[in-house]
Amino acid sequence: MSIERRHFLAGLAGTFPGMALTDLLARDGVLSGTLHRPPRAKRVVQLFMAGAASHVDLFDHKPQLVKEHGQQWDPGEEVELFQSTPGASMKSVWDFQRYGNCGKAISDVVAPLGEVADDLAFVHNIVGKTGVHSQGTLLQTTGFNRPGFPSAGSWVSYALGSENENLPSFVVLPDHRGLASNGTKNWSSMFLPAEHQGTVIRPGAATPIDDLFPPEDSDYITPAADRDGLALLEKLNSGYATARPGDSRLTARIRSYELAARMQLSATEALDVSKEPQYIKDLYGLAPEGPGVDDTEINVKAETEFFGRKCLVARRLLERGVRFVQIWSGNDNGFPRRNWDSHENIERDHGPLARGMAVGAAGLIKDLKQRGMLDDTVILWTTEFGRMPCAQRGVGRDHNPFVFTNWLCGGGIRGGVTHGESDQWGFKPLDPDNPTQVYDIHATVLHLLGIDHERLTVRHNSIDRRLTDVHGHVIREIVA
Amino acid sequence: MKFPLLPSLFAAASAVLPVHGAADDPLAILEQNCLSCHNAHDAKGDVVFETAPIQIDDLSQILDSISGPDPEMPKDRDALSAAEVATLAKWIEAGAPIPEGRVLKDTYVPGRDWWSLQPIEQGQVADATHSNDPWVKNEIDAFVLAKLREKNLAPSPEAEPRVLVRRLYYDLTGLPPQPEEIDAFVTDYARDPEGTWAALVDRLLASPNYGEHWARHWLDVARYGETHGYDKDKPRPNAWPYRDYVIRSLNDDKPWSRFVREQIAGDVLFPGDPDGIVALGFIAAGPWDFIAHYEVGEKKVDGRIAKHMDRDDMVSATFNAFMSTTVQCAQCHHHKFDPVSMEDYYRLHAVFAAVDRAPRVYDLDPEVQRKRERLSVEIGKAEGAIKTLDQRIKNEGGPELARLRERIGVLKKAGAEGVKKDPAYGYHSQIVKSPDTEKWVQVDLGEPVAIEAIELIGAHDEFGGIGAGFGFPVRYRVEVADNLDFTENRRVIADRTDADQANPGIAPVRLAAKGETARYLRVTATRLAERKNDYILALGEIRVLDEAKTNLAAGRSVGALDSIEQGVRWGRKNLVDEKFATGGDPAAARELAELLEKERALLAKIDTPEMRDERAAHEANLAKLREQLGALPEGKLVYAAATHFRKFGNVVPTEGQPREIHLLQRGDIGSPGDLMHPGAPALWDGGTPEFDLSKDATEGEARAALANYLADPANPLTWRSVVNRLWLHHFGRGIVDSPNDFGRMGMAPTHPELLDFLAAKLRNDPDQSLKAIHRLIVTSATWRQASAHDPERAAVDANNAYYWRANRRRLSAEELRDSVLFVAGKLNPERGGPSFQDFVIEKPQHSPHYQYHLYDPDDPKTQRRSIYRMIVRSKTQPFLTTLDCADPSQMVAKRDETTTALQALALLNNPFMETMAGHLAERVESNPDPITAAFNRATGRAPHANERAALAAYAKTHGLANACRVILNLSEFAYVD
Repeated sequence: MSIERRHFLAGLAGTFPGMALTDLLARDGVLSGTLHRPPRAKRVVQLFMAGAASHVDLFDHKPQLVKEHGQQWDPGEEVELFQSTPGASMKSVWDFQRYGNCGKAISDVVAPLGEVADDLAFVHNIVGKTGVHSQGTLLQTTGFNRPGFPSAGSWVSYALGSENENLPSFVVLPDHRGLASNGTKNWSSMFLPAEHQGTVIRPGAATPIDDLFPPEDSDYITPAADRDGLALLEKLNSGYATARPGDSRLTARIRSYELAARMQLSATEALDVSKEPQYIKDLYGLAPEGPGVDDTEINVKAETEFFGRKCLVARRLLERGVRFVQIWSGNDNGFPRRNWDSHENIERDHGPLARGMAVGAAGLIKDLKQRGMLDDTVILWTTEFGRMPCAQRGVGRDHNPFVFTNWLCGGGIRGGVTHGESDQWGFKPLDPDNPTQVYDIHATVLHLLGIDHERLTVRHNSIDRRLTDVHGHVIREIVA
Repeated sequence: MKFPLLPSLFAAASAVLPVHGAADDPLAILEQNCLSCHNAHDAKGDVVFETAPIQIDDLSQILDSISGPDPEMPKDRDALSAAEVATLAKWIEAGAPIPEGRVLKDTYVPGRDWWSLQPIEQGQVADATHSNDPWVKNEIDAFVLAKLREKNLAPSPEAEPRVLVRRLYYDLTGLPPQPEEIDAFVTDYARDPEGTWAALVDRLLASPNYGEHWARHWLDVARYGETHGYDKDKPRPNAWPYRDYVIRSLNDDKPWSRFVREQIAGDVLFPGDPDGIVALGFIAAGPWDFIAHYEVGEKKVDGRIAKHMDRDDMVSATFNAFMSTTVQCAQCHHHKFDPVSMEDYYRLHAVFAAVDRAPRVYDLDPEVQRKRERLSVEIGKAEGAIKTLDQRIKNEGGPELARLRERIGVLKKAGAEGVKKDPAYGYHSQIVKSPDTEKWVQVDLGEPVAIEAIELIGAHDEFGGIGAGFGFPVRYRVEVADNLDFTENRRVIADRTDADQANPGIAPVRLAAKGETARYLRVTATRLAERKNDYILALGEIRVLDEAKTNLAAGRSVGALDSIEQGVRWGRKNLVDEKFATGGDPAAARELAELLEKERALLAKIDTPEMRDERAAHEANLAKLREQLGALPEGKLVYAAATHFRKFGNVVPTEGQPREIHLLQRGDIGSPGDLMHPGAPALWDGGTPEFDLSKDATEGEARAALANYLADPANPLTWRSVVNRLWLHHFGRGIVDSPNDFGRMGMAPTHPELLDFLAAKLRNDPDQSLKAIHRLIVTSATWRQASAHDPERAAVDANNAYYWRANRRRLSAEELRDSVLFVAGKLNPERGGPSFQDFVIEKPQHSPHYQYHLYDPDDPKTQRRSIYRMIVRSKTQPFLTTLDCADPSQMVAKRDETTTALQALALLNNPFMETMAGHLAERVESNPDPITAAFNRATGRAPHANERAALAAYAKTHGLANACRVILNLSEFAYVD
């Protein structure tokens, strides 16, 4: 971290730059012990549907589209779409049923989420800025539609620090088939200290965390050599540090090797789901054959295994003190589709992805609840934008940045409510003057964590930057 | 907000204090003092003064907040004068009226009363006693000593020679010295310290390693990367010449003003010099949204938003890098802290209004290059025109045509799957550039025979993805005659020259000849099939059948206007060898033929003669243009700012015609204000915000004006900015520790006079030599101090802001990687040229996956210095990122320095480290004392006895490679005293 920033963060304006780097490895955040308000939540899970999930096929029920289905869609204005020109109105591919005491209508394809409908707060009037994937993704992950800004997870890690120094505070579980638009930019710390960047973990992969252990094919590093080598290194580095008093970086470095060794144990233990009871594995929809499940053709079983395993690992990480977990469904916008960018065919591609997501997400919510952790864990479901109410070549849908859906759950969220509606088609907000923006969602999440989003700032190139730019209002209606 | 001001620099301040609105005009006072926050958009505190009625809970709040000894408002600004408060009081009393229709606007732009905007002073040490102190080796020391004494501090003694030499190597070259070099230096230094030191400094500054090391610092600031970033993150294969340009410029010690001017307008200011174009890589170095520009384009709102953001990147990068000024803050409102108005900001957009990021030829004669550019643009236009015609057909063909074509595509693919073909494909004419070239091929049947039917069978070649029907004529006629030249008794069997024919694929086209008797049969194409932007006639087989269906043409002699005789595949004789492609699905083939016929019929209705003529004209033109371009030398490409290039996707070259730039209210593309002309903020006396350009000035002249503005000797920022960057990388902290921001939100200089001394020295030096500044710095006593801690001095200045010692520094990510390679004896010395890739690209077609875990650290190509690494934006190199490498999507003035468990894991376990520790062991194993040799290479000293003993014992148990792994993880390797 640049001394300049630390200087400002610490509120020492007026003194000279720099401060004693006494506790480089302290895992406290800048707001530890000085939160702006009593927190309702301690940790966050962000579920990100890469490629843009269709609100009208999943959560935002539009009977009007059933009526108009197949007729040329006419919103009464000219609409400029990303790839196509507006086709016929297209009803949801799946039927909707009502769930829970709240009676929320939810699509059959995500029926497992119906079982937790009373825990969910829906926001159906989110608006984006453009219909370009990269920008939409960055906007949701960092609050800005161009690169250069820290991820929401980095801000939370920066503010709150970690509850467990043996694990990273911000963990990312990407789609194993590839990274979404912008790649690692979606979890990079940019001008926040690098320790707040998301650490990638690939559950089920041969090497879930880069460099956690020596290369398997090493012909000389044995466990004994590793252990003895660390002991020797500590001795030599301590000698170097002792000869150079007053430089806390050198002692921090020695400690970083101790922590590395402990992280090897903690992370391995956290990622080992083998001892989870069968009913828990079933709750998350894990496949008997595990991560190697066949997905030559996109299918429900595989998508459930992939997403469910990430959700289960997320729970284990949250239990062990990880502050922010970002879970991805879907890879880049390549072919064959393994993401939500269903220009060609909603049913074929959304179907398995949505069911897999719903099983995993519902499993996570139920599991956190039965462990008493849902009360202080916020879950945010989001995507880069929505999809159009009209068809693209009959069975697909083009981008809709004009309105889409988020839902939140747990951690002080009022369940069973819907705030903000879209219009009769799910084309734009019903009240165009009062849409919800990502800033409001982020402000609300920070609020639940005890943070005033206007007061968590870092000066960078002359601007006191914050996650919510110069916008954002806490959505009181969805806070319990 | 209050900042520590430096009184000496503020002598001139009063002259340029911001002027409040006329004291008797309440609305002017509001606009000047209140509207930047209390406008309808920001509505701070829910108070808005934009229109009548003003929005506030209670009018009395206004007076309460602006009066009293320490008024709350205006926030962060000077209090209003008594007269102004009185004026507002009267206005409030009158009911706070604002005339109907008047909308108050923010008029406040901060003044130039700020240290960095004052003229650069010569920078002299006030008290000569400092200059005469024996500790002082040059002017730098006098400034530093003056400040130390002011703070009751004293400098530290000079560092050990062994420490100095390692520090110098790293500071100037980014690589460690060899043990032998250290030993030789230590010996010589004892004999003649100053002479030895000066010689080493000169030698290292002259080393090409210098440019490779310092280029990294500039490329961090220039946000240089070799992929676009955003979605799909495509590679930029031609970005590297800019990287080499930076290295070359630094090694050549190019005058700073030239370096600055080349990067903004080198093409205009230094025509004929390739560097003038390569340097424009700076403007293009940042991320670029491929999808929003290439796929969406400026015809759509999203494309225009992307283009706006694209220009913002150019504008911000230019001002942050060269002038440490954050103009980007004025995108949505006037800069709140520095004298940059929205107008200033959008004038800068106007400077870059004609450029895009594109590959650009840099090494050709300017005249040739202009021709190439013009031809490329013309080709793009002709292609575009043809595309437009295609689109018109597509539109008019509507769903019917779309369905037909979709089905045809499916059938073609299905057909291709079962095709059997012989390696002898058939006959192939010479290639031509225009479709409307007549070509013919004929068969001599040996004697006049009665012909019942003729079959033309299309060839099959996957070239260009064409497959069945490759080269089959679009229009043609079939004739018979009695003599070779077709002058005697010429009869037409079939004439299909009046309209384009559907391609039959490999299905035989059967023409009835009704018993005509003839010896010669000729197929004449009047419109050729497209191959790949060029045209040919090809046929798989001609069969001439008699009543008994015997093929009379088999093995006969074939003549043609021209032909390609190439290996087994193509040759005249292949036309009658009874070998031709067959198979596929016959039902599909039949359906295909039918659909092709339908398509042809449909197109015949849409494609008017006018359209056909138009297309033919474009195609002829295109062929001509391509030929002209093909005749010119190709030249080498750099990814740079460009105005003339071949249209790609929806990126259309401006040909130097600037886009119209409007001031955008709140930065919103939907709220355009006044039309803006090129200019730059007047940040010093004599500057004018709009450039003095004639009405018909070219876009290049606007960029040249900006380049000259940046390099103006009167510019107070450029010179301070660069010397501060040099200082930063020698001392670990800038004199101004916000190197990209010298404005009011940045840091104040710790040593303003020293900063000005260095800035003036560089500016006034006829050679504007950076190396001269480096030399001055590293020969100073200040730089040569030991880095040892001292509790007493630390109690006064814990952070060493006044340089009472040297700062111990950690190696940057690249220095560490390069040093590991160097120490292991594996550093590949190859300089310049295309970057190495320490990853494998999977799925390159759509969104390339950059897979770092698949690369082989033992591949010598990857063992070059890190400056030659291909920098990917969407997936930064994980090992280097963990070690605080700069992110290429933002301008990084100064690296972070974090210490994390993940770093320890990377240094212990990354395959690169594992491999190199093994190589270090191999390198030293034949040495009589391998432990000492390895330790010495890594740290620049021999291990102490106890260190040696411990490492040797460990090596005895676990092997030398493990001991080397420990050595490469030593703090002493990673830090420089």
